[in-house]
Amino acid sequence: MDSTQRVRRRIAATVCAVALVLPLTACEALTPGSATAVPGPTSVPSSTAVPDGDVTLRLQFADAPLMVDALIAAFEKEHPHIGVEPQYKTFSDYVQNLKLTMTSDTAPDIAQYAVGMTDLAADGHILDLAPYREAYGWDDAIPPVSLDQLTAGRTSEATGGRALFGVPAGLSMTGIYYNKELAEKAGIGAPPTTLAEFEKQLAAAKNADLTPLGVGALDSGGLHLWAALLNQLMPTDEYWDWVNGKKGATMENPAAVEASELMVEWGRKGYYNESANGTAQVDSTAQFAKGDSVFLINGNWAAGQLATVMGDNVGFFPMPGEKAGSPTVASGFSVSYAVSSKTEHPQAAGAFLDFLTSPEAGQIISDNGFLPPNPEAVKKPAGVLADIAEGHRRAVADDGITTFPDFAAPAMLDRLRSGVQKLIADRVAPAEYLDSLQDEWEDHHGE
Amino acid sequence: MGSRPPVRGREARSRQARGRSRWRGYVYVLPAFAVYFAFAVLPALHTAYLSLFEWDGVTLGDWVGLGNYAEIFQDPILRRSVFNALVLVVFFSFVPIVIGLVSTGLLARYRRPGMGAYRFLFMLPQVVPLVAVGVTWRWLYGDDGVVNQVFRAVGLDGVTRAWLGDFGAALIAVGLVGTWVLSGLCMMLFLSGVQKVDPSLYEAARIDGAGPVREFVSVTLPQLRGELAVAMTVTTVAALASFDIVYVTTNGGPGEQTTVPGLLVYRLAFSEGKVGLAAALAVVLSILILAIVYLINRLSRDRT
Repeated sequence: MDSTQRVRRRIAATVCAVALVLPLTACEALTPGSATAVPGPTSVPSSTAVPDGDVTLRLQFADAPLMVDALIAAFEKEHPHIGVEPQYKTFSDYVQNLKLTMTSDTAPDIAQYAVGMTDLAADGHILDLAPYREAYGWDDAIPPVSLDQLTAGRTSEATGGRALFGVPAGLSMTGIYYNKELAEKAGIGAPPTTLAEFEKQLAAAKNADLTPLGVGALDSGGLHLWAALLNQLMPTDEYWDWVNGKKGATMENPAAVEASELMVEWGRKGYYNESANGTAQVDSTAQFAKGDSVFLINGNWAAGQLATVMGDNVGFFPMPGEKAGSPTVASGFSVSYAVSSKTEHPQAAGAFLDFLTSPEAGQIISDNGFLPPNPEAVKKPAGVLADIAEGHRRAVADDGITTFPDFAAPAMLDRLRSGVQKLIADRVAPAEYLDSLQDEWEDHHGE
Repeated sequence: MGSRPPVRGREARSRQARGRSRWRGYVYVLPAFAVYFAFAVLPALHTAYLSLFEWDGVTLGDWVGLGNYAEIFQDPILRRSVFNALVLVVFFSFVPIVIGLVSTGLLARYRRPGMGAYRFLFMLPQVVPLVAVGVTWRWLYGDDGVVNQVFRAVGLDGVTRAWLGDFGAALIAVGLVGTWVLSGLCMMLFLSGVQKVDPSLYEAARIDGAGPVREFVSVTLPQLRGELAVAMTVTTVAALASFDIVYVTTNGGPGEQTTVPGLLVYRLAFSEGKVGLAAALAVVLSILILAIVYLINRLSRDRT
């Protein structure tokens, strides 16, 4: 053997050995990530007074850039010393980078609330706003229920009451749209008052040779329907406990089985559009607007588009409860903003959040197609937008706005989406589906 | 293999000089190696290192040793994704190569003017970004898409469906997108390979009375061994590491019918906060790909 080759082999062997041994002798210093404790305050100061001098806040967000621009313009007019610099990101980009962004040294002062925020709140990366809730009197300005969605399931260390990690700008809610012309053709007179009546209307539509219910289950349309049914059957408290990761909460309960069975049954009876699993939400909305189905499951975010295309021919109602007197319960969330614990201007950030609860901001929010947190303060909308506002008012009055089920864990969205697709196609037993959700839940909240 | 210094010097050269020139060779390689090491080897090693932790990407990771690997082999969704990737190999690799060979056989027998135009046409799918390909095919496969329109036009109303949302059809539908993209690449590789073949070989075969099939099997195919190896390697890697087409068309659905490892690596790392598990899956995927590529190269090198 030639000596070059021997040397080369020896080098190769050494490199391999180092490569192998390096990871095995993992020492503390090489462990990825950083220790959880974040230095500095975990809640806003008790004083709301904004210090003098010019301040610039950076606001990172992913939804409704036009609304944000309008809100900032109005806010800056009221507070000439405080500038807000918007940083827009697409939603998927935003969510995927959220943790890195908020834990970095250059975290924005204000950031839109999204799924990962619960973990960031637990580690102290975003400020508890509970002191401002009292100081500014936000409970009087907007319905407390929309603030209670933003507690991350935690107690405030500063006030001892419920924590608060965001303030809502626009609210959202899911429900059922219906095509008035097609409904009449199927002999359906008015929006249903009970779940059983809704089922009868679906059957009537089917008998009239129409597609009863449009579902865009390729992305999140299917899970909106499942959550809407679950909202009617499962006690709201238990649902909240589960989403907030409260110890002992479970989705493996009779009500959830019933809701899942209902989804399977509707599929067997042919109530969904035939290709629900291959249809995205935007596509199901476009098909509904064309008159392809009598009903459609979607959220208020589709209302603007539907009102434009269908005019007076479209109406909206929240999924009805088991009895006519049942409370109105619907899933929804808000475009809300949290404050980074790295901000040097918590008071200025607080002033911005407080502005969001003002009637002026409410009007801007309403004009941009969202539900304002303080509906009394804005002009009455018309048409389908009025239906939505009325449905939302009822749900808020009944304390019945629940959050979306995928907030339960980061991986829950994928479990829900693929699981609901299987329910629709009758490919999974409800118990097995719920078991997969609970596994994911325990994976995230267990220990 | 790296370039080898010219060490076979004359006997007259001293040992010392030989040693020096040997090391000088490595010095020339150093800049390239440093770049390669910093941007390819190091990140790969870092990924392998991360795979030994349970880490959410932010807080302090927990050392779990090979625990993530154990989880990969136990998790039915992860196993299912590997199975799906292997099914995609059929559509991304096997079918395009067969299509490429057949069309090469048809086109290469007689040289005609305009071959360049053919090659250009077949190459087109390669030029389009895969995300655009995916979005386009989502329309084609849609309820009222071209695929269903064609079926309706010929009276096959019964088979129409939203192909990407159908539990039985989704994986095949995604696979056929890959076939569409990669067939052109294979064809182009083979066509250019055939042009290197000495025409006298064909002449000899024809004089011996070989028909088109015999000519293809005895002359064209053996001459294309190198191109075949390249085509198999590229397409198999495309299948096993597929991500963009699946992400855009089905996002892994319906259920887990089209979930592939690449998609899971992305999801686990970026939306589910399981960076260690994602790294472990990436390592397993890389090893699987390397093993298959090694096998392909071994098979294609033999018998020469």
